[in-house]
Amino acid sequence: MIVAVIVIVAIVVVGATVFLAFGRHQPDDGVATFRRHIDALSPEARREVIERVQNARETGKGK
Amino acid sequence: MARDLAIDLGTANTLVYMKGRGIVLNEPSVIALNRQTGEVLATGREAWQMIGRTPGYIVAVRPLRGGAITDFEITERMIRLLLQRVGVSRFTRPKVVICVPSAITEVERRAVTDAARRAGAADAQLIEQPMAAAIGADLPIDEPVGNMVIDIGGGTSETAVISLGGVVALEAVRVGSFDIDAAIQNYVRREHGIAIGERTAEEIKVAIGSADPIGDENEAEVRGRDLMSGLPKTVLLNPEEIRFAIDDVVSSIVASVVRCLAKAPPELAQDFLVRGMYLVGGGGLLRGLAQRIERETRVPVRMSPMPLEAVVLGAGHCIEHYDALKGMFMGARR
Repeated sequence: MIVAVIVIVAIVVVGATVFLAFGRHQPDDGVATFRRHIDALSPEARREVIERVQNARETGKGK
Repeated sequence: MARDLAIDLGTANTLVYMKGRGIVLNEPSVIALNRQTGEVLATGREAWQMIGRTPGYIVAVRPLRGGAITDFEITERMIRLLLQRVGVSRFTRPKVVICVPSAITEVERRAVTDAARRAGAADAQLIEQPMAAAIGADLPIDEPVGNMVIDIGGGTSETAVISLGGVVALEAVRVGSFDIDAAIQNYVRREHGIAIGERTAEEIKVAIGSADPIGDENEAEVRGRDLMSGLPKTVLLNPEEIRFAIDDVVSSIVASVVRCLAKAPPELAQDFLVRGMYLVGGGGLLRGLAQRIERETRVPVRMSPMPLEAVVLGAGHCIEHYDALKGMFMGARR
């Protein structure tokens, strides 16, 4: 009986910890997501795609 | 493993960008079908050459008009064939980002994503054409400055103000370069009494069409069918006539640009005077159009270095940075 109670309590404690760790949004979630979004739109990030198509155009491919 | 794809499903042309590879397909959005059996006979450039020149049992159609799907079944078959041509099979189902006009309705939006999923895409996301165009035109949209892009396609013209990775103001009209072709067709029929096809109208536009006087005033010889006698006939057209013929269409495009400028917040509006507006899309290649917009808005207009590919390049960039940019997809924001 005592073992069963201990197991149940342990499950509840682990569940609560997991919920608190992953279930709630971190306060900096929005900041980090926005930063990633803006960084992905930077000219440096876009350079690869644009150069790939420009090079293909110059060599007569990709048309 | 399938490579993810970005598709600019335009009224005039369809371009496909493959992740890690670049643009792998660029063809007219046309499909030729056997009217009796429903069998697909040709797609893309081959089907485009058939427009207006087919026997009764073949029909060559553009399944999109005004940026919208007019025939869901044919569009689905066209997308399926496009995906097959770039290597998508039953076992390789890629993620697909499709560029659509910003004024698309909920029903049209679902029609496009359903067509792509049924055609073999594992996941289909939509992105607004002006947003994709701004990314592809290499504008500094990651900065807090006003970037203005005018995308003139076959069936739609869209103007957007973009700052800090998002659309600030937007104006769209369902008018594009096909309406310019139709205006030329109507003018020639009305004023010269001859019937010409849509390909001939497009050739006239390319040869002598302009939105503003540009100095080069060569005439063009046009052949068509006399409406009275039914016999072939040749007439001479001059650029001034064509400017008059297309003026209503050009004016409505310019008016939508003016409306978008009026919607822009004052802090961003002052940036346009310095940075100018960027013209993309095939319709933007009409001679004198940049000059006409500049004259009527008093804002400098610049041509994007790759006007025909800008939209698919922008969508291609989104497929390369899918997780970071998924907030830009239409379903994510609305």
